[in-house]
Amino acid sequence: MSAPEPRLFGARVPRVEDDRLLKGQGRFVADLDFAGSLYAKFVRSDESSSDIFDFDVGKALACEKVRAVFTGDDFAGAEIRCVSAYEGFQTSSQPILATDRTRFAGEAVAMVVAEDEYAAEDAAEDVFFSVLPLEPVAGLDDALGDGREPVHAGWTGHAFVRRSMATGGFERVAGSAAHRVTIELRNARHGAIPMEGRACVARYDRGSGLFELWTTTQIPHLIRAGLADALGVAESRIRVISPDVGGGFGVKAQLYPEEVACCLAARELDRPVKWVEDRREHFFASHHSREHRHQVTGYFDDDGVLTALEADIAVDMGAYSVFPWTSTMDCGMAMGILPGPYRVQEYSVTGTAYCTNKAPYGAYRGVARPAACFSIERLIDRIAKHRGIDRAEVRRRNLIGPGDYPWHSPSGLVYDSGSLPESLDKVLEASGYDRLLADQALARAEGRLFGIGLAVFTEQTAHTTREFQQRGVPIVFGYETAKVRLDATGTAVVSASIHDHGQGLETTLAQIAADRLGLRLEDIRVEYGDTDQVAYGAGTFASRSAVLAGGAVVKAADAVGDTLRQVAAHRLEASPADIVIGQNRLSVSGSPGAFIETAELCRLVYQRPESLPRGVEPILEASRTYDADPGTGVYTNAAHLASVEVDPLTGKTIVLSYAIVEDCGPMINPTIVEGQIFGGVAQGIGTALFEEFVYDDEARLLTSTFSDYLIPTMTDIPDFAVDHLETPSPHTIGGLKGMGEGGAIAPGAAIASAIEDALSPVGDAVVAELPLTPERVLALLNRAQQQGDQR
Amino acid sequence: MKPPKFRYHAPSSLDEALDLLATYGDDAVVLSGGQSLIPMLNLRLARPAEVVDIARIDGLGYVEAGECSVSVGALVTHRKMETDPEVARLLPMAREAAGLIGFRAIRNRGTVGGSVAHADPSAEWPAVLLALDGSVEMRSSSGVRQVDASDFFKSVFTTARRPDEIVSSVRFGSRFAGNWGFSEFQRRTGDFAVVVAAVACADSSDRSGETRVALAGVADRPVRCAEAEAALADASDPRAAAEAARDAFDPAGDAHGSTAYRKQLVYAQVLRAATQALTRRAGRRPDG
Ligand SMILES: Cc1cc2nc3c(=O)[nH]c(=O)nc-3n(C[C@H](O)[C@H](O)[C@H](O)COP(=O)(O)OP(=O)(O)OC[C@H]3O[C@@H](n4cnc5c(N)ncnc54)[C@H](O)[C@@H]3O)c2cc1C
Repeated sequence: MSAPEPRLFGARVPRVEDDRLLKGQGRFVADLDFAGSLYAKFVRSDESSSDIFDFDVGKALACEKVRAVFTGDDFAGAEIRCVSAYEGFQTSSQPILATDRTRFAGEAVAMVVAEDEYAAEDAAEDVFFSVLPLEPVAGLDDALGDGREPVHAGWTGHAFVRRSMATGGFERVAGSAAHRVTIELRNARHGAIPMEGRACVARYDRGSGLFELWTTTQIPHLIRAGLADALGVAESRIRVISPDVGGGFGVKAQLYPEEVACCLAARELDRPVKWVEDRREHFFASHHSREHRHQVTGYFDDDGVLTALEADIAVDMGAYSVFPWTSTMDCGMAMGILPGPYRVQEYSVTGTAYCTNKAPYGAYRGVARPAACFSIERLIDRIAKHRGIDRAEVRRRNLIGPGDYPWHSPSGLVYDSGSLPESLDKVLEASGYDRLLADQALARAEGRLFGIGLAVFTEQTAHTTREFQQRGVPIVFGYETAKVRLDATGTAVVSASIHDHGQGLETTLAQIAADRLGLRLEDIRVEYGDTDQVAYGAGTFASRSAVLAGGAVVKAADAVGDTLRQVAAHRLEASPADIVIGQNRLSVSGSPGAFIETAELCRLVYQRPESLPRGVEPILEASRTYDADPGTGVYTNAAHLASVEVDPLTGKTIVLSYAIVEDCGPMINPTIVEGQIFGGVAQGIGTALFEEFVYDDEARLLTSTFSDYLIPTMTDIPDFAVDHLETPSPHTIGGLKGMGEGGAIAPGAAIASAIEDALSPVGDAVVAELPLTPERVLALLNRAQQQGDQR
Repeated sequence: MKPPKFRYHAPSSLDEALDLLATYGDDAVVLSGGQSLIPMLNLRLARPAEVVDIARIDGLGYVEAGECSVSVGALVTHRKMETDPEVARLLPMAREAAGLIGFRAIRNRGTVGGSVAHADPSAEWPAVLLALDGSVEMRSSSGVRQVDASDFFKSVFTTARRPDEIVSSVRFGSRFAGNWGFSEFQRRTGDFAVVVAAVACADSSDRSGETRVALAGVADRPVRCAEAEAALADASDPRAAAEAARDAFDPAGDAHGSTAYRKQLVYAQVLRAATQALTRRAGRRPDG
């Protein structure tokens, strides 16, 4: 039995969802307008750590149009807890509304529900309570010291968890290494900042006892699981629907207290309750990310070959462990992936996830990999400098080569396949490296600060059961589910447990299904986001959806295809094994005249059951799950090259050019792959140059608008040069690898490398802190100057 | 981010608007392009009871050249200043500054009068007005007055305007308008400047040697820097002017830069603006 010919796989098909989205016909949570809706406004704490008491909601309740004011005690039965199985994990429990203690600036302490948003916001100003500010754990400096009380009662120290590991030969190899360098690296706390903030509408039906939550989430099934816990009701009583979502990037991959609060209020008030986050709330209380401090030491020989690596990793996870990831995710990922694309075999690492009085910390595109890439790539540049070797050459000497797979990394990961040295060579080509060098020589002759930077990485994607089992999370995100149903007119609905909020999955899953069912793209409708559609699944995160949902679609479509074959074989008096699916028909192999249109066959199945062969039921539907082997992920790799110019008077950096070569295995749709890369690199430029949540010494957030929290705009993003390699994974269906996060991983490292290179004619200054604001770059320039003067 | 309740008025004549302001006094605010006021309402930083929208009033949208000045009606948009050929000819510094305000969508709505009345200490128009010996015309139901830019700006978001007055126009001097330099530091294109330097100087043949160095983003209002002006007038030395300006101010630090960094920015912007002005005075075109 031959598989259908791929016709759409690999094609640059325009995204089917764009027509709807670009015409304003998308439907987002904020667009929903249920009859009788009430609107919620949360009152939030200005202080980070404080005792709160003496609530007075009388004046707010008396306001026109106000229907209820809830405070912590009203919701005291519910909480968000996410406990890691790691030994020694200290847990937190996050109240839905703070009861007597706040733990971060922006934490919700009361909820006003009114007939419209204006009335709710007016009345929110009339909720009064007393505040006694406490000495906070204001950040990593406080958490690393011992002068502050832990954020949570009953804790010892400030760590959610600390873990260490070392390879057996580490001490020996490190001890006898010819050379070593140590660098300390800092990555500022920042966030994903999707165009659409968070929003939800909760409905409760008293008759059936059913909750319905419309919410901006990437993970509807997991939200349902978390809600069931928090509300203490069965999952069968909860339906979670996530319609069109305007960007997620991880910040919408956690359960939030507002979602629980709206459900509770809807049940209490017997009216739909809607909340639409405003941008200020987003800065304060949507989860932050990226805040890492690393100390890394590389041990290497005269040729610049890295033989051992040592790291101490600290992550500021904020006030609470988040559902469903726990507060261990970033630290664990950094510990695992730090050795990155290099052949180093000895490794010793300690990682600590700290609890502080900052906003909770969730996922963000790349999860720890940007910080890990920054550390290892900055280290490799240092080794190049130390040994006087070209930066590309030192990488060639250390990269995992084509003959090394499967590569067992010293942290226990198994890299399935890749093309690291090729991607490096290819990015030099794609960037016009020789011309850049000529431009640089010219610029330097004029005294301008022109730099070129490189970064190479390997990215764990589509990790499933084995990986999440090891990570000690309460729910193991092992698989995704797809249901394929053909209707009586011969078109198909593909329902998937993933979510599409910009990744183009509505198109790529349709491409896959169309190929497998022998239909046209327009014959397929892809739906997702509703827990009633498929049995279960995790959702969209961790660069997994095309691989896992794609695999599940293949399996489900093929199962439906088997039924089609049976019925067609019966009609055409042939053997099912000889039936070929394609071009909207089923035909007998070798006899082109013997065929039946798919639409006709589907009509027969549903409407003329008498025409079915014995034992075949009149249903063209199958649900399948896919859990990609081996469960520890498949590895995408890429090389990035940036060129920059630094203004010597102000320290401002302009990114002049940016080239990317990425290998994510066979591409379902190269246009979509490139769109994902470009968006990721744009966010990475934010990481490199702009984005930072700044807290003061009392852990109050200072950057709460777009005039002080800067994201890159059109004019900060250069044209991209992009090229591809396609090394299939030996494990996954179709050889697919994930790639949604990759773009965001390397820009911090590549741009830092370019800035260090730009400053190098003046002197040597180690660039080890992000973002590289003009002020920081100017300070580096001064340091380079001093170093240069001493030379 | 929903504004508190207010009453909205849309007068169709200046007199009607002035009557409303006379009636409501402190309780009223003027709405012009809305590019500063609307965000302030939504963030509840402004809580007026009455909003008087002047956008529908005719006759405040002119650019009029006088003998050695140019008058600009309060409702002239930043975008018009950026694209108007008369402005380009008579006030090239103003055209340059206009193009650096926000993004085009903001320039299409925001007005010169609104910016001047708003008095953000890092805005372009106040600095340009100071550099070009400008003045501000205000009207109320009891009359008209003209106040020099150097007396108009009092402090952060605070001016000499009384609550019953509308800024009706501003006047830019065009005497030194040909020998100009303008430089500002933005984190990103379209951002509010961190530091602005505007320099204008008399022709070399003019024995007065008069020079203006105006700065925004260094104090609670736009300021001129006498030390830098002296350095330029005496020695035509941009570097000395830049150093003098750097040493003259201690701007407060924030997320976009510490005091020390802002001082360095003052140095950089004055150096660039002064170099441009001297280059133009010498009859050459500045680089870049
Ligand atoms: C994203 C963004 C970027 C920006 N970047 C810059 C920038 O780089 N540089 C810059 O200078 N500005 C910038 N602005 C502000 C913009 O220039 C505003 O247009 C300007 O500050 C105010 O003008 P307006 O006409 O919009 O006034 P409005 O917002 O309508 O009013 C502002 C204030 O002035 C008062 N007012 C307005 N007109 C009058 C009048 N005729 N008489 C008396 N009172 C009056 C109002 O009551 C209010 O208090 C930016 C704004 C945004 C949103």
